[in-house]
Amino acid sequence: MNEILKGKLVHLAAVDPEEVSKSFAAWNRDSEYKRLLDTEPPRLHSTKAVKDWMEKELEKYSDTMYWFTIRSAADNQLLGDINLDVVGWNSRDAFVGLGIGPRDFWGKGYGTEAMQLALQFAFTELNLHRVTLTVFEYNPRAIRSYEKAGFRLEGRLRGAILREGRRWDVLYMGVLREEWREHHDHPN
Amino acid sequence: MKDIFRGELVRLTVESPETIAKAQARWFRDSELLRLAESDPAYMWSEKNRKEWVEKQDGQDAKNFRFCIRTLSDDKLIGEVSIHPQWVDADAWVGIGLGERDYWGRGYGTDAMRLILQYGFVELNLHRISLGLHSYNERALKSYEKAGFKVEGVMRQDTFREGRRTDGIYMGILRDEWLTMQGETA
Repeated sequence: MNEILKGKLVHLAAVDPEEVSKSFAAWNRDSEYKRLLDTEPPRLHSTKAVKDWMEKELEKYSDTMYWFTIRSAADNQLLGDINLDVVGWNSRDAFVGLGIGPRDFWGKGYGTEAMQLALQFAFTELNLHRVTLTVFEYNPRAIRSYEKAGFRLEGRLRGAILREGRRWDVLYMGVLREEWREHHDHPN
Repeated sequence: MKDIFRGELVRLTVESPETIAKAQARWFRDSELLRLAESDPAYMWSEKNRKEWVEKQDGQDAKNFRFCIRTLSDDKLIGEVSIHPQWVDADAWVGIGLGERDYWGRGYGTDAMRLILQYGFVELNLHRISLGLHSYNERALKSYEKAGFKVEGVMRQDTFREGRRTDGIYMGILRDEWLTMQGETA
């Protein structure tokens, strides 16, 4: 059987709050990172607050959440995290969220490969039927990356975000199992 | 959509921990019931112990769906049935027990099992459903066969009771088999 959590640029690893909370807290101080990732007003949290939150999440959603850190294949550097949240096992759908912390690693394919690994995990290991995500209109880099990984635009919440005096859409994207198979064999 | 919690003889309900504890404490004084349904040494528990156990199981996590069984005719609580999905493979284990002896061998358990199979295949969208029983529980074997289960394997001499070694039987039903059955009975 193949090593399913390893790619060329990155591999997916465990989430150890003790080890990673300091980096997560630091990334959250980058308001651009935070605003690309979330709709809520960026707030700054201490390392301890982040660690406590992570521990609680891991405990609370142990049945439905598959949360990984993203690490560089070259030197195991912590680059971010990716989270598959099975929203309904009976429907076999999961929500996925992804963030790359250090700006040096933005726009270079690290996130795309992490997403490809997460999709492979979702479809071949969790046997899901579809994977869903939301992304913001002002994040074209992410939209392009998700398209590369095989996601298609499925809908948009028009003007759902008000930021910097402008209304932006929230985009819903999804990938179905059969599409992923097809795309996986013939990526564009 | 039709009521999927209602069969021909029984309906599936959810009861308060107090109600279940009271019933279980009484039912589980029946050693025959315990030895038909369980492999553990027959034992008795207090109502308090049962209530704590039920409360621990309570709460809708995605791994345990527990129901009580009530008769349609007089709304009597006669037993329990539960289904425990293993989501990645879309397989689930079911367990069923009728605490009230007066209702044994009269189709109540089979009716409850049909409801839980329907729940498993229609609502949980499972691919297969499994169960295990003791080979000396012939009434249960017949009931499960009626509901659509097939014998899939035998654990030889896995039980030692009353000086006799008996087998454990594994049964299963696949989604397609169940769907075919529905076509035949519809």
